[in-house]
Amino acid sequence: MVEPVLDVQDLSVEYEAGAGTFHALTGVSVRLDPGRVVGIVGETGSGKSTLAHAIPRLLPEPPARIVSGKISFRGVDVLDLPKWKLPLLRGTGIGMIFQEPINSLNPAYRIFDQVAEAVAVRKLRDAGESPTLFPAPEPHDYSKGMVVKSGEALLHPIATKLPGRRRRARREALMQDVLDYLRLVRINDPETILDLYPHELSGGMRQRIMIAMALSAKPSLLIADEPTSALDITIQAQVLTLMKELMEEVQTSILFISHDLGIIAEMADEVGVLYAGHLVEFGPVEEVFANPRHPYTKLLLRSVPAQYKDDGPLPALSGSVPSLANVPPGCPFHPRCPLMRDACKTNPGPLLEPVKGISARTHLSACYYSDEVARKA
Amino acid sequence: MGRNKSDLIVFVGKRLLQLLPVVLGVIVITFFFTHVAVQNPCAVWAGAHATADQVQACILRFGLNRPLTDQFWRYLTTLLSGDWGANPRGGVPVLLSISSAFPATLELVLASLFIMTVIGIPLGVVAANGAGRWADHLVRVFYLSGWATPTYLGAVVLAIAVGPAIGLPTKGDFTTKPPFYGPTHMSVLDALWALDFPAVGDALLHLVLPASALALLNLGIATRMTRTSMLEVLPLDFVKTARMKGLSDFVVLYKHALRNSLISTVTILGITAGVLLSGTVVIETIFQWPGIGAYAYDAITGYNFPGTIAVVIVFAVAVVISNLLSDVLYGILDPRVEWR
Amino acid sequence: MASATDSELGVDATPWTLLRGKASHLREILRPFIRVLRANPLTLIGFILVVIISTTALLVAIVPVISQVVLGHPVLLTPYDPNGISTDYSQAPSLKHLLGTDKLGLDIFSRVLAALPLDLAIGVGIAGFALLLGGGLGLVAGYWDKPRTLGGVISAVILRVTDVFLAFPSLVLALAIAASLGRGTGPSILAVLLTWWPYYVRLTRGEVLAVKHRPYVVAARAAGVSEVRILFRHVLRNLIEPLLVYYTLDIGTVIITFSTISFVGIGVPLDVSEWGTMVEAYEQLLLTHPWTVLAPGAAIFITVLAFSLFGDGLRDILDPRSRRTLVQAVAATTLPGQVAGAAEA
Ligand SMILES: Nc1ncnc2c1ncn2[C@@H]1O[C@H](COP(=O)(O)OP(=O)(O)OP(=O)(O)O)[C@@H](O)[C@H]1O
Ligand code: SF4
Ligand SMILES: [Mg+2]
Repeated sequence: MVEPVLDVQDLSVEYEAGAGTFHALTGVSVRLDPGRVVGIVGETGSGKSTLAHAIPRLLPEPPARIVSGKISFRGVDVLDLPKWKLPLLRGTGIGMIFQEPINSLNPAYRIFDQVAEAVAVRKLRDAGESPTLFPAPEPHDYSKGMVVKSGEALLHPIATKLPGRRRRARREALMQDVLDYLRLVRINDPETILDLYPHELSGGMRQRIMIAMALSAKPSLLIADEPTSALDITIQAQVLTLMKELMEEVQTSILFISHDLGIIAEMADEVGVLYAGHLVEFGPVEEVFANPRHPYTKLLLRSVPAQYKDDGPLPALSGSVPSLANVPPGCPFHPRCPLMRDACKTNPGPLLEPVKGISARTHLSACYYSDEVARKA
Repeated sequence: MGRNKSDLIVFVGKRLLQLLPVVLGVIVITFFFTHVAVQNPCAVWAGAHATADQVQACILRFGLNRPLTDQFWRYLTTLLSGDWGANPRGGVPVLLSISSAFPATLELVLASLFIMTVIGIPLGVVAANGAGRWADHLVRVFYLSGWATPTYLGAVVLAIAVGPAIGLPTKGDFTTKPPFYGPTHMSVLDALWALDFPAVGDALLHLVLPASALALLNLGIATRMTRTSMLEVLPLDFVKTARMKGLSDFVVLYKHALRNSLISTVTILGITAGVLLSGTVVIETIFQWPGIGAYAYDAITGYNFPGTIAVVIVFAVAVVISNLLSDVLYGILDPRVEWR
Repeated sequence: MASATDSELGVDATPWTLLRGKASHLREILRPFIRVLRANPLTLIGFILVVIISTTALLVAIVPVISQVVLGHPVLLTPYDPNGISTDYSQAPSLKHLLGTDKLGLDIFSRVLAALPLDLAIGVGIAGFALLLGGGLGLVAGYWDKPRTLGGVISAVILRVTDVFLAFPSLVLALAIAASLGRGTGPSILAVLLTWWPYYVRLTRGEVLAVKHRPYVVAARAAGVSEVRILFRHVLRNLIEPLLVYYTLDIGTVIITFSTISFVGIGVPLDVSEWGTMVEAYEQLLLTHPWTVLAPGAAIFITVLAFSLFGDGLRDILDPRSRRTLVQAVAATTLPGQVAGAAEA
């Protein structure tokens, strides 16, 4: 068995807000093998962003609090890292793409400076001129002939406004990488946008730059938190196509978060379904979508028009997502579940376990009656 | 409409033109207030022991018996011809006094601005970074205390108690006025000009207390502004992007977040320039600083009308120009702003 | 009102349940208050101080008047007559004289206490006047600013005059006015009054302009809602919060400015108890008799601090984004241009 890039075990996160405690994540476990793409799908407020932010320790604490669990990234216990070591985890280790390309680039700096900063961080670490958590070389290469020339004007990333000669030297040292990565995300003449500010670019363009920036650090894990939700539909398709192509080229492990089942089906190898902070189903995408073993997944799939036209015995989703301030005891889905029995109300939420009746251990469901879900469909 | 140099020049030119009616309004208001409210300034100008004839002569000499509008036109025309009048008592030309006093005030204001930025802004960053924790509460108490301390109280305590206790000078800008006079009329720069390094040290020491007293109030404003705008910027996605590049906290805070918070801090600082200038009246009087604030106090309390009006004009122009400067700085800091 | 209480009222609407219903309603309104006060101890301290200071000021001012009417002679709340010379010269603080005495034997504690109603009334009153005048002018200038109408002309005039007054450093203008009018409490009040309103014009106008173009106001207008109704329902409603916050903070600023005029020696006469005047009068005693200077200084400090703490917290309670609008409002007419390209290109 290969060592996973990311292993999240039993993670629980709470937000302490004025009105009460929100259990944003409860006992979530996710495992990501090298080079795989794991999709996380869930309705709004189900805790997707909380999961994405928890992994690189980006949650604002307070109000957020990691109650329990273990996050191990390339063998390093993330929750154990002291605060000052966190930057070493990010960038070259874990990269991230955010939902809103409008807000995710710094409005005060030019595109070149922002991309170059990411490149510079990676070069410093590659050249051993700044400490790293992961001495071993990255497990995959980005081809394209980007050889690190160590020692060449590898200045600290704080200095963008260097005087004359040094600034030019630095710019030249990083220029090739910046241009390469901008081309990698299919920006055809990157030279023309280097000196523009983010507000002078379109949303799709900005998101491409975000992707270029994340990739230019050569992360072992890329977290994409709804990278296309804020874009309009044609741009969305372009960016998705780009990401799909990049997955082939770059071979990095990706945690891909979306509320859109269609996008997940297209992008991911495995999928996890989040409901009210609980991971209710996990398995290979084709498996889960063709043969859902949790009533919620099944109903969710049914609610997608045109993609799932199976008129099984289960009615459409009724009721609404519970408030995270008081998630129902027992199985969190029981108030809305058509298969609910008395046991579901009281028994503590069942942990993710292998689906009954299937020999493969890869398809997991958090329903006591996962076999019935299949049978009744 | 754009961000070229030429757009900036047009913008500044337009703003300077808009300054003219404001200055005219300032002149009108100050002139009429002083002349209407004070019934017989000659009683003061001619001296306490003047005879009735001397007072009468004084009234005739300054044309105080003529209609107010006449007096105003006469004042305005001489002002436009470059003659700002003279102190009715003693006859020192106003322009001379002001032009030699203004640089000293500028020096004081710049020094306290320096203290404000160097201490106030990092304090604001520290408070915002630890929002809701003890560092934040401490900083909040600190800046609210600075805000709640009247400038004069702080100055009096510094001048009378603290200064002597720690051996810092509390009077004037030099221990003994040096024989030379440099071109700038600013004590530190003049001493530097003359390459007289003991004098530079002396001038710097003299600057510490008055500049601190002046900075005290606005230190609070700078800290508070930085704190609140940092609180607004820190949750934004681009700060997370910066963190996710693997940058250290220091770079994230000071290069990415602070850079964007400064945009609103700078605006507020420009607006509080008036407060800072007002402060010089009190500070310079207490510390006997040879600046325009002390001159303003003397002019106002001595019924020196030409001096009072001139001082008010200079202050008003300084306020408008510092607002303009803060606008320009704002535009430089925020690339989304277009000059227009 | 909560539906539970409604049904309760239907069953037996005794006065008691009515009262309970009211109380729970009140609790609903006060909830954010209580939450912020609890979460932020500094705000709570400010709030308590403001209540104590205001009550004391009111009592000190009113009790002598009432007792004059009821008992025939005034009962002073100050332990000694603030203007009563005694033989206890230059005493250090003791149980007899809590804050010591000055060279004339005047009890400092009594003087500081006697000055409280004056200083507080000046802060509340001047800021209040500025709020009404400047707020009114700002409302007019912001709401009826269509070019080439009468309103447009009026608002242009208001703005020009405001610009002129804003250009004065208010303390300097106030000093000039106060000096011209001669030393006295009245003239110095007038001086601050005349210079204080322009800030409120800027603030109000900026807020009005911001609200006026919000989608729901535009929609209301399109739907034929009358201008007066829009003004009251949408515009004024949105003005109250930032103005109230600014006003609370401003009370302290007025107190400081006013006492500065006194301190400089052109404001309140020396024989009237006023904090700034007291600092001026005793200034030279700071080293030998520090209590004479520090007591009135501390009084100003605590009063202003109380209002600042409270105002700071009030902002969080009423309107978490009001700092933003404050900045925008004050800066609205000075900003070089609009932020371009915020929306998707
Ligand atoms: N800063 C915060 N303070 C308090 N509660 C929060 C905070 N951020 C998130 N929450 C709570 O956590 C829950 C999960 O939020 P999260 O952002 O993870 O959801 P999401 O699945 O990403 O939703 P979306 O699709 O809208 O992005 C929300 O319902 C919210 O109540
Ligand atoms: S455990 Fe019970 S309530 Fe929960 S999904 Fe399964 S059947 Fe429904
Ligand atoms: Mg989200």
